[in-house]
Amino acid sequence: MPAINVDVNEITKSFGTVKAVQGVSFEVQQGEIFGLLGPNGAGKTTSIRIILDIFKPDSGTVSVLGGPMTEEKKNKIGYLPEERGLYQEIPLERCLVYLATLKGLEETDARQRVGEYLDRFDLGQWRKKKVKELSKGMQQKAQLITTLVHRPEIVIIDEPFSALDPVNTQMVKDLLCEERDRGTTIIMCTHQMHQVEELADRIALINKGQTVLYGSLDEIRRRYVADAVIVRALQDLPASLPGVREIIKQNNHALLKFEPGKTSQDILQMLVQNNIALEQFEIALPTLDEIFIQVVQSEGDGR
Amino acid sequence: MKKFWLIFANEYKRHVLKKSFIFGVLSMPLFLVLIIGISMLSVWLQFNDAPMGYVDANHLLSDAVQVPEKKSKIFPVAQAVPFKDEASAKAALENGSIQTYFILSENYLSTGEVTMVKNSKTGTNASSDFGDFLVYNLVSDLPDQTAFRLSEGNNLIVRSLEGTRETGADNWMAIILPVLAGVLFLIAVNISGNYLLQAVVEEKENRTMEILVTSVSPTQLMAGKVVGNMLVGLTQLVVWVVFAVIAIKVAPSFIPDLQIPSIETSYLLLMVATLIPSFVMVAAAMGAIGATATESREAQQIASWFTIPIMVPLWFISAIMLKPNGALSVGMSLFPLTAPIALPLRAVFTDIPAWQIIMTLGLLSILAIFSVWLSGRIFRLGMLRYGKRVRLSEAFRRAK
Repeated sequence: MPAINVDVNEITKSFGTVKAVQGVSFEVQQGEIFGLLGPNGAGKTTSIRIILDIFKPDSGTVSVLGGPMTEEKKNKIGYLPEERGLYQEIPLERCLVYLATLKGLEETDARQRVGEYLDRFDLGQWRKKKVKELSKGMQQKAQLITTLVHRPEIVIIDEPFSALDPVNTQMVKDLLCEERDRGTTIIMCTHQMHQVEELADRIALINKGQTVLYGSLDEIRRRYVADAVIVRALQDLPASLPGVREIIKQNNHALLKFEPGKTSQDILQMLVQNNIALEQFEIALPTLDEIFIQVVQSEGDGR
Repeated sequence: MKKFWLIFANEYKRHVLKKSFIFGVLSMPLFLVLIIGISMLSVWLQFNDAPMGYVDANHLLSDAVQVPEKKSKIFPVAQAVPFKDEASAKAALENGSIQTYFILSENYLSTGEVTMVKNSKTGTNASSDFGDFLVYNLVSDLPDQTAFRLSEGNNLIVRSLEGTRETGADNWMAIILPVLAGVLFLIAVNISGNYLLQAVVEEKENRTMEILVTSVSPTQLMAGKVVGNMLVGLTQLVVWVVFAVIAIKVAPSFIPDLQIPSIETSYLLLMVATLIPSFVMVAAAMGAIGATATESREAQQIASWFTIPIMVPLWFISAIMLKPNGALSVGMSLFPLTAPIALPLRAVFTDIPAWQIIMTLGLLSILAIFSVWLSGRIFRLGMLRYGKRVRLSEAFRRAK
């Protein structure tokens, strides 16, 4: 059983009359990529700031690396906030080295590691340029360097792929997988569900300050499995089939939504009985996007 | 503690290594040197050490001797040459052997009337040099001490109405120093405060703050910033003081009449003891303002609430001079925001009771510590708040 590196237990936080977080709980295991999802204003950033000890919770507890946050533990955490920030008026390398030393690295180590990352991110030729001279994408990569340069045990990243082109997006994905394989715990906040589906092992969905969905991605998908199957037949499907309420034809396959009370087994049996030769028969699992919308809408938020 | 030093060094270096800072620090003394240089050049261009003639019909200066040379060789004293009548003096002026001539009227002793005849080559120093020559020779028959006193004039002592302190009128440094120190303090506080203000507001605006507070504690961050930026202002102050000391040391060799009075060490200590906690207090307040303000312009406006009261004693300088132990003077020297200038200023004109000094310094120190603490609280509340200011009541409430 992997160690629990982040344990968030029933935290609440209010700002005046606004209840930003009201009972969020989840655990993040060592060496996993954990997706923290939720619509805008759901309480994700506040929860993260509570984990990072920027805000104190009104109630509830947070355990990081086996206990409360300390100044020493801050050096073991890498954080990429949603609103990026670097000193604009100083050279890139100096900015990154300074932020790395604040994470506990000696200046010579910081300089060496920053150099390695700059080369890896194709930013080597920009090291002496002022940060404000860099493009948004370059600044995004530079920010990612500040998050990882001190080899943290926990990485918390908020919308890591915003402003990145497909090539750099893939590079960041590879980097995150590399970090995970190294044993780093990664908490990833994003709205880009396909990225979460691709990278995350487990997720928590926060809505209106509460955890509304929590578990492994497979488990959640099965929980929200649609009453439908995907079939690819060797012949044209008839316009209607027994037990099927709707047939949606898509390119070379069709989605069969079955009537209440029917199961995928019933549909398979029916297709065989109707002598329909099949090339593919697959349970239609919902995408994370669909689950997200479904859950958020069922919570009464029409976004 | 290591992170405090990192922040301190970063804050200090990022300002001190800026070209604008170096230019700002050096521009003031260089500007003064330039102004003084231009003034001296202007005087030098109009200076003429050629002999001056005089016609003394009354034979008051029959055994006249030349005024001894002063230390400075830059502007030597013009020699005075007697002429028996105006015609010969006029001829000498026309042929250029003298630069000007003076005619002492027949009733000079009763009227003091002297006529100066000059041309375009006459130097601006001629009238004063002849005046010195005249006085020097008229009193030459008197005893040395009397002659010296007459030529040097009086040393006026200014005594306050009820104070025990007396100040010599020629001890201009004692009066100017607290005013000068106050103005320099104001400048340094403004420079440091504004750098701190800018740094905090900038980190809020460019969102670096969120990264920083996940690396260091708000208290370390604030303390590093306050001390770092304070030192930036002090660096500027020290550079200026060094230039001033050099100027004071060098000036008498150029200007022999300039006498630099000495300043008591206890007075300097009092000034430093007042200014340091005041500096910390104002700098911490500036940091807090930066954290609470939503944008730079708003921060600048709030910052003026702290800097304007510091200047107030300068507006009441005559009241402090006349009544250094009056209620207004005592009040201003006890009130922390006016004390940095009012207390040293009072000390020039009166012996301030020890309890008042202790009370002022105590109040300033307590307020400086309180300021750092409160600004830490406000900083923590306001650092990630955009578009909404932190109220003092909220800072106190959350502090409980």
